[in-house]
Amino acid sequence: MNALAIPMRAVRQLPGLFIVGFVITFAWIAVAILAPVLAPYDPDAIAFDALLTAPSPDHLMGTDQLGRDIFSRVLYGARVDLFMGVVGLIVPLVIGVFLGLLSGYFVGWTDTIIMRALDITIAFPFLVLVLAIVAVLGPGLSSYFVALALVAWVPYARLVRGQVKLIKQTDFIAATTSLGFGSTYTLIRHVLPNCIVPALVFAVTDFVLIILYGSSLGFLGMGAQPPTAEWGVMIADGQTYLSTAWWISFFPGLALLTLGVGAALLGDGTAKLMRVER
Amino acid sequence: MSDEHKIAIRVRDVSITFPTEDGPVTAVKNVSFDIRENEFFGIVGESGSGKSTVCRAITRLLPDRAEVTGEITVHAQKMLEMDLDRLRDIRGNGISMIFQNPSSHLNPLMTIGDQISETARFHYKRNREELNELAVSTLKDVRFSNPEGQVNAYPHQLSGGMKQRAMIGAALACDSKIIIADEPTTALDVTVQAEILDLLIKLRQERGLTIIIISHDLGVISQLCDRIAVMKDGELIEQGRTEEVILSPKEDYTRTLIASRPEAIRLHNSAWKGEPTESGNPVLAVNRASIYFGGQGRNAVVKAVEDVSFDVMRGDIVGVVGESGSGKSTIVRAMINLNTLSSGEILYDGRDVRNFKGAERVNFLRKVQMIFQHPQESLDPRFSIEQCIMEPLKLHKIVPKDRIASRVRELMEMVELSPDLLTRRPRDISGGQAQRVCIARALAMEPEVIIADEITSALDVTIQAQILRLLTRLKEQMGLTIVFVTHDLDVVRTFCNRVVVMQIGKLIETGTPQQIFETSSHDYTRRLVAAIPHLPQGLSQSETA
Amino acid sequence: MIIQLIVDRLKQLIPALLGVALVTFLLVHLIPGDPVALLAGDRASPETIAAVKTRYGLDQPIVVQLFYYLKNIAMGDLGQSLRFRIPVTELILQHLWPTALLMIMTILITIPCAIILAALAASHQDRPLDHAIRAFSVAGIAIPVFWIGIVLARIFSVQLGWFPVAGFGEGLWDNVYHLVLPSITLAIGIVPVLARNLRASLLEMMEADFVTAARSKGVPESYIFKRHVFMNALIPNLQLFGVIVAFLFGGTIVVEKVFAIPGIGQLLISSILGRDYYVVLGLTFFFAVFTMLVMLIVDLVSMLIDPRLRS
Repeated sequence: MNALAIPMRAVRQLPGLFIVGFVITFAWIAVAILAPVLAPYDPDAIAFDALLTAPSPDHLMGTDQLGRDIFSRVLYGARVDLFMGVVGLIVPLVIGVFLGLLSGYFVGWTDTIIMRALDITIAFPFLVLVLAIVAVLGPGLSSYFVALALVAWVPYARLVRGQVKLIKQTDFIAATTSLGFGSTYTLIRHVLPNCIVPALVFAVTDFVLIILYGSSLGFLGMGAQPPTAEWGVMIADGQTYLSTAWWISFFPGLALLTLGVGAALLGDGTAKLMRVER
Repeated sequence: MSDEHKIAIRVRDVSITFPTEDGPVTAVKNVSFDIRENEFFGIVGESGSGKSTVCRAITRLLPDRAEVTGEITVHAQKMLEMDLDRLRDIRGNGISMIFQNPSSHLNPLMTIGDQISETARFHYKRNREELNELAVSTLKDVRFSNPEGQVNAYPHQLSGGMKQRAMIGAALACDSKIIIADEPTTALDVTVQAEILDLLIKLRQERGLTIIIISHDLGVISQLCDRIAVMKDGELIEQGRTEEVILSPKEDYTRTLIASRPEAIRLHNSAWKGEPTESGNPVLAVNRASIYFGGQGRNAVVKAVEDVSFDVMRGDIVGVVGESGSGKSTIVRAMINLNTLSSGEILYDGRDVRNFKGAERVNFLRKVQMIFQHPQESLDPRFSIEQCIMEPLKLHKIVPKDRIASRVRELMEMVELSPDLLTRRPRDISGGQAQRVCIARALAMEPEVIIADEITSALDVTIQAQILRLLTRLKEQMGLTIVFVTHDLDVVRTFCNRVVVMQIGKLIETGTPQQIFETSSHDYTRRLVAAIPHLPQGLSQSETA
Repeated sequence: MIIQLIVDRLKQLIPALLGVALVTFLLVHLIPGDPVALLAGDRASPETIAAVKTRYGLDQPIVVQLFYYLKNIAMGDLGQSLRFRIPVTELILQHLWPTALLMIMTILITIPCAIILAALAASHQDRPLDHAIRAFSVAGIAIPVFWIGIVLARIFSVQLGWFPVAGFGEGLWDNVYHLVLPSITLAIGIVPVLARNLRASLLEMMEADFVTAARSKGVPESYIFKRHVFMNALIPNLQLFGVIVAFLFGGTIVVEKVFAIPGIGQLLISSILGRDYYVVLGLTFFFAVFTMLVMLIVDLVSMLIDPRLRS
């Protein structure tokens, strides 16, 4: 059964911004996949005769302090950052939805423990906690993913738990119980599909946040490590040359901005779409 | 004679349209009526009739996107063309409104005193002390027991009845002589309703008010109003003096509306529900059951049900009746273990219902099925109707796989629903249809007993009549036992052959309808019965076709 | 009665505090290397080593160590900085002021901006201004704060020379001058989220039943907006505001690096890079406690406004 079942009427009314967001996001996904085809240079190719050159027909976005073509690095960077967004999203989503379901449905001890875990996790500012974990595990993308798995599940759990509690206020679960359906069956077949939509909608926005935090980490030197062409790392590289070679920081940031804006508009449009369906 | 009646409000050819995603929707179609000075005028109709919408148009309280055409004059002033400043002068100080749900219509962050004197603050420009005095004296007028103390209370600290009275106070704080009451008692218990209606009658007398009452309840309207208008789907069906309209209705819809009322049904079909079963063992026995909630930490213990005992005999239709907080829903849910008993027991055919486990439990649940108040909430919004009814058949293997589809159709036929609805979703069918689906689903389990927990409380009165008729027909055909929980005494009196009366968790009395409604000696029961709003006397069998 | 409520909320904080301390403690134990050697230093005498062991209970079973840790925290001892050989607490206090000033300035910019944008959008609902503000508030969450900081620095400091590029300056007004660009940068990160939620709340409240009821009393629209719509819209957003302050901490870390401000964000980064573990964890604990305090204040303010929360 199609869990998303979007009525045609809603599709016709899609706000223009949603389409813009959709196009931008999928354009970047295409870029990431086609990077090897689209990039004119090898992103790691050092060229001592072309250090810090300004944007020109040869190098559309200029070169950095090691003569590497920024345009190619931006294209390859899309792979890193998008990968970061997708992988970093999945584990927290699954953990969060699972815990949120248990917590909302079974209440009692399960709920109390999960809520305590939630309270403790929200007490730490996200970046601080990620940094602390990275400090202990060492810098790198895998540390970031571990940190995300430990911490980023919270909003999903909250959303799903909230939905479950809403459902419990109605007679929905009483009805399935009175029909003799078991708890596990009810949870999977009836509760989950009706709770997951807000979590999925949030996931699109979370995707943006994970990329932003990931590139912040890269900027701080804690995330993806050089020479990986990650946009945050590139922006950090360019900071030293701010007055002389502004393009090193500018273009990766622009890429980050456009991808983020596209995904954010997509997320907002999805949220509206889901509301229309109600 | 009409010259003696001065017209306070004149509504002429008013139509109201709202733009929606699916095109413009006409909520009110060409409605005309007059409201006379000092009268009680009632507008009655079911949901979607437009009765509320047309009255909000009088003081232009509709959202900006609503298009209103026609003419509305109040004391010869044209309301629809009036400029906003003048309109604001009249609102609250000429014409006031009171609303259905006092909880949502009061600002939770302001004291009721402030919300009452708000009007005066802007119409009269009084200072702090004067406003406070006004608030206190208004609370006295609406019969608060402790005006000086309660003037600083917040809405959440008051009961439903008190909140409604506070709203009435806010409406009368200034000099309004016309009151529009939009379903003022629908959200209240029947005894509280009687008090509020009484209050309105007194206030009209004391202050010479003109009152428009909007309601779906023909009984309330006919008890209070001098003249009434009947609306359906945006049109005014008929209007006239109350007795005339009710005792000799001219239009079919009016007749249907009247005939749908339980008391009308009762007058027409008196003896079809059968005498109560006297002998044999009860199919369900409630023995000294108590259900307490809370009690952990600093939460006070709530005694939802206290020491209640009654029997349900096979073949009976037992009405469990009470106001809000009576525990009636709580106790019947305990019959299928949706609530846990704190003490006492409930037996099904002599066995404690808590002892059923595993396959036995499924068998028990098949025999005793429950139907709930909000049908669209009981059905999975993602399932089609066919899937909803099919689910128990499949899961419990009630019929072999190849028989499932035809069994579903049989069940739809039993509840008088067209098979066209099978592919629709719960959201796309009406409340009445959804409730029939729930009944079909319950019947799929092949029950002996059906517990109906307020199943018609959320439905229009004509739909309610249809559902109740369906239920009694099914009972006859299938030999069911029915436990019917409701706050509506009229329904119980008409449809049940045994009555259980509850109040604040305790059982007040049980008996036959005749014993409860005519010869009870319990104080509460008599008060409850007296509070039921009635149609005018003289309603004969000929009108209840 | 208010005191009772405060005490209650503080009591509820304790389990969370303990949880936070526990988490930090666990992280401390994951630190690679021998803690005794780290704390005492390379050329420590046997007496120093013994003293360190006693102070931190390092030769005791882990449960006892936890107890020591908690006891030390309660007394304000978060350990030693391995680089500077001074107590962590002292180090934090040295770096606190720039961050505090940055946060104050950011909040002072954010709140009026968010309120004005939300109110404008709500009162011009569905008209061009509303669409523009909504687009800004949706896209705004995607703005990379560190990049915007660099862009602003490039334009306003390097190119136009209006503001200093980096640093903190001497004396209060010089401090403020140095923090203008950084606080604007941070504000750009937060205003969209706050404006968006506030706008949604305002719109919801504008359709509320009690607003219709107030209108039916002939009360003027401006009063309805202030007393009925706005106050009720504020309540869910107070919670959000608390979350945002917590988020600000993360933001300051990044902004301090961009603008070379010597605050606790900088301290955190340099401590991570310099393997100054106890500083890192002490800061983590500090951040967490501060966030909880902010949430507590938010809760108390909510209780002040909403009488329903007082029972």
